[in-house]
Amino acid sequence: MRDTTALWLAIMGIALTGVCTRCSFLLLSERLRLSPIIERALRYAPAAALSAIVLPALVVDSSGVNLALSNHLWIAGLVAALVMWRVRTMVWSMSAGLLVLTALRLFA
Amino acid sequence: MNARSFFLKGCADIAPVALPIATWSLVTGIAMAKSPLLLHQAISYSLLAYAGTAQLAALPLLVVGAPIWVSVMTALMVNLRFIIYSAGLRPSLRSQPLGMRCLLGCLISDMAFIMYMRHEARWRQSPLRGYYFLGLGCANYVIWHCASLVGLLGGALIPEAWGLSFAGTLALVAILVPMLMSRPAMVACAVAGITAVCLRDLPFKLGLIGAIAAGTAAAVFAEKKAVSDA
Repeated sequence: MRDTTALWLAIMGIALTGVCTRCSFLLLSERLRLSPIIERALRYAPAAALSAIVLPALVVDSSGVNLALSNHLWIAGLVAALVMWRVRTMVWSMSAGLLVLTALRLFA
Repeated sequence: MNARSFFLKGCADIAPVALPIATWSLVTGIAMAKSPLLLHQAISYSLLAYAGTAQLAALPLLVVGAPIWVSVMTALMVNLRFIIYSAGLRPSLRSQPLGMRCLLGCLISDMAFIMYMRHEARWRQSPLRGYYFLGLGCANYVIWHCASLVGLLGGALIPEAWGLSFAGTLALVAILVPMLMSRPAMVACAVAGITAVCLRDLPFKLGLIGAIAAGTAAAVFAEKKAVSDA
């Protein structure tokens, strides 16, 4: 773990992003409006951020991009995504992913 | 109806989504328990940030010691949706006193926003509707932190072999999938994901920031094109 001062600063910064985004339009001047293009960007940024975190975590291992059977994570992630797509229930999706991961570890 | 009954009505109206909130929070707690964060750090992180998705997204960055601003920017990107919620609530809550608006703002969450907008028309005439949102927000907050604490304390007891350290990533997958309802959202996901994989070796996790920017820009462009084609 890195030095704790930096960790606490980062935690404070992250907390601040929550407070600022949440309170933004409840406190800012009434004249301020969201322009359509900004609103669009705001709508898609979360999906972009999640994908940018998740995809490398699933497909990259110590050998680089690995889409073979030896990389269990991307298969488990794909199964979890497909279950979520069909069933729309978080618990089932995550259970399926963890189950596939465990099965691959034990048998593959 | 007085303020108290508005508040209690809000608390009661969170009930249908209490289970999803608790599950999601439990997972966040477990993921943090499985990270190298110390217990008091993880608890403060959760209490201060109060944003499961942002917490999980920034967690690996905190752990590997990415620059502070990269962790903060990543959390900000995930939290940007709160600006839309905030703007959405403004017409209904603009007349509330300043202190109340600050408090309600800090309690904004996905579920509180969704439930408030669903019932908003019923309370439109009442000046006490702020207490209805307060009830929704407080109930959500309490459920969230109770379940999060259970995950934090219980997560440490679960054996590593169950692969639960992977739970955080799977939770993000489960949040991402329902977002992909439109073409531009799919474009954002594909462009950001592939860019992040390609740029993963850039120093200071700069590739991550670049990937988010590229994905967002591509989605805005894709939507513009869809509008002009139609």
